Amino acid sequence: MELLVDLFGYLSIVLHGATLAGQAIALGGALFLVLLAQPKAWLLGATGARISDGVARLAGWAALGMAAAEAASVALPALLLADTLQMSLMDALGAQFALAGMARTVLGLVLAAMLFGMGGRAPWWLVLPVVLGVLATATLSTHAAARLEGSLPLLAVSGIHQFGAALWIGGIPAFLLALRRAQVPGAMVVVGERFSTISIIGVACLLGSAGALWWAYIGDVHGMYGTAYGVMVSAKSAMFAGLLLLGLGNFRLIRRLKRERGQSPTRLLRFAEVELGVGIAIFFAASSITSVPPAVDLRDDRVTMQEIVERNWPQWPRLESPDHAELTQPALQAKLDAEAREAGRKPQLAFNPGSGILPPRNAADIAWSEYNHHWAGLFVIAIALLALLHRAGLGIAGHWPLVFLGLAGFLFFRSDPEAWPLGAVSLMDSLRDVEVLQHRMIVLLLVVFALFEWRVRITKQTSGWQPKVFPILTAVAATALLTHSHAIANVREQLLIEITHTPLALAGLAGAWARWLELRLDPPGNRAAGWVWPLCFLVVGLVLLVYREA
Amino acid sequence: MIRLPRRRWLGLVGLAALPRPVHAHAILVESDPPHEAKVPEGERVLTFRFNARLDRLRSRLTLIGADKTQTVLALLPGSDEVLSARAVLVRGPATVRWQVLAMDGHITRGDVPFTVTGG
Repeated sequence: MELLVDLFGYLSIVLHGATLAGQAIALGGALFLVLLAQPKAWLLGATGARISDGVARLAGWAALGMAAAEAASVALPALLLADTLQMSLMDALGAQFALAGMARTVLGLVLAAMLFGMGGRAPWWLVLPVVLGVLATATLSTHAAARLEGSLPLLAVSGIHQFGAALWIGGIPAFLLALRRAQVPGAMVVVGERFSTISIIGVACLLGSAGALWWAYIGDVHGMYGTAYGVMVSAKSAMFAGLLLLGLGNFRLIRRLKRERGQSPTRLLRFAEVELGVGIAIFFAASSITSVPPAVDLRDDRVTMQEIVERNWPQWPRLESPDHAELTQPALQAKLDAEAREAGRKPQLAFNPGSGILPPRNAADIAWSEYNHHWAGLFVIAIALLALLHRAGLGIAGHWPLVFLGLAGFLFFRSDPEAWPLGAVSLMDSLRDVEVLQHRMIVLLLVVFALFEWRVRITKQTSGWQPKVFPILTAVAATALLTHSHAIANVREQLLIEITHTPLALAGLAGAWARWLELRLDPPGNRAAGWVWPLCFLVVGLVLLVYREA
Repeated sequence: MIRLPRRRWLGLVGLAALPRPVHAHAILVESDPPHEAKVPEGERVLTFRFNARLDRLRSRLTLIGADKTQTVLALLPGSDEVLSARAVLVRGPATVRWQVLAMDGHITRGDVPFTVTGG
């Protein structure tokens, strides 16, 4: 329980992201069913019924996932309130967010029951009211619910925003399912054309509402780069622009499929898969955004463009590490150990993992962190260059995944100097700290990733699930970095660090999905994608190499 | 990845132990007494204004005196974004610890330290 409590802040963002993603896919699937699969079923014959049933099941599972994530999202803060205010859990559950969350959970279960029970024949007049009910309750956990002015119009705008996301991004899994079941180009064109129309409406809802939300919550250009809220909205906008490009590509592919029935639909499917992956990252970024105050509310503590330029101006990397004993916590630990020896008692720990108390930092701590980033950058640059050489035909460079083992070993020793193996805090105790836990998980992921990808390279395997471990783990790590960095509060120094880490997440995401396309596209598209992802890794390495904390 | 300055995680332990503001959703716009102000001893209404509508039933002000005793203050009626309470201040350093639940479900907290002088 204590560990769970320590993880509350991070868990709440992850759970909210899962709720948003589940909601979009559930509502997107339900809307796909009543706006596309059912009305077009007569054109598709037996395939139409199979598409409707498949979409209903898909949306039903997503609705169950949404309900589970939302129930947990309500339970966590309710437990927190009950504990800190010494009130009963029932009283805590009387809060508006909890009532709305419980209503959303019940509506999710109702939607799932409806879709599983009636399958592809679930009527629109039953499905649509539940969809609208979920959207209405969902808006009550957005910033709009707590605004002092204009709350009602902002609630409506937030509802339109989430509706647009469900219609377009949430509809993609159903679209993929329908394309796979359609099988023949003619049926694919029928599905594709209607989904294009639905997507255009979704994009219009998203763009229109995003403009209104920008005006209400950011208000000026300085808010975009000078606050955590603005930086995350910028990242979300960049991902949205990428989605629009992919969507435009698919729009053109559908038109070409209609003209030339012999065309392969592979690219259509692959682009839609990438759209879904980027879309899920957007939901987690959106979840992070809801946990910080809107930029308009922060007039102090903004960073200026000059500070951003000064901090990010390239300097020679720090390739020599400060001594471990110079760091704040080891130095304090040595002092506490000496005092304890004199008094003949067990020494206190300088750092109490999971206490939530920020440890002090000195110049050596900053130098230690910068050194870690710079060497990690060199590892990543080496990986990128080797991958490029391998792409160019140098066979031995194909062993580049092994460099990840070096990076994992480096991070294992260096990322948490207060904890085992370098520090006094034991491995198990250190895991109570969310940041240490994340670092240990990343080391483990890097090892798994390196071994899988190395095997893929030496066996030249391009099909099966093993090659997909690389893009999927990279996409998960990049998405996690979006939530990770955003958990940093909007304090000026920490924002300056976040500004560096957000491009890392975006380049990681682009690299992950480029590798996916390299594996999944037909020539020549796959060859082009094979050049793109190492370049994305090169960007990640260069950003790490110029990273500074002071 | 790698080493970032530690973030301010919300959590039961964190909420109980953190001696500094948590910048998350609802933020303190202004307070009376202001941060690190000097105020005379005696009875006084303490007022805290936020940027968001609050669930007043699930928000709390706690006065921490120089001797570290904690007193939960009874909130006075007021508007949705303001918490105020009457307190008797005694000489020495004092802190008001606020914890608020915004209407969108986000819990935030922070401290306003100040000094009570002899008059």
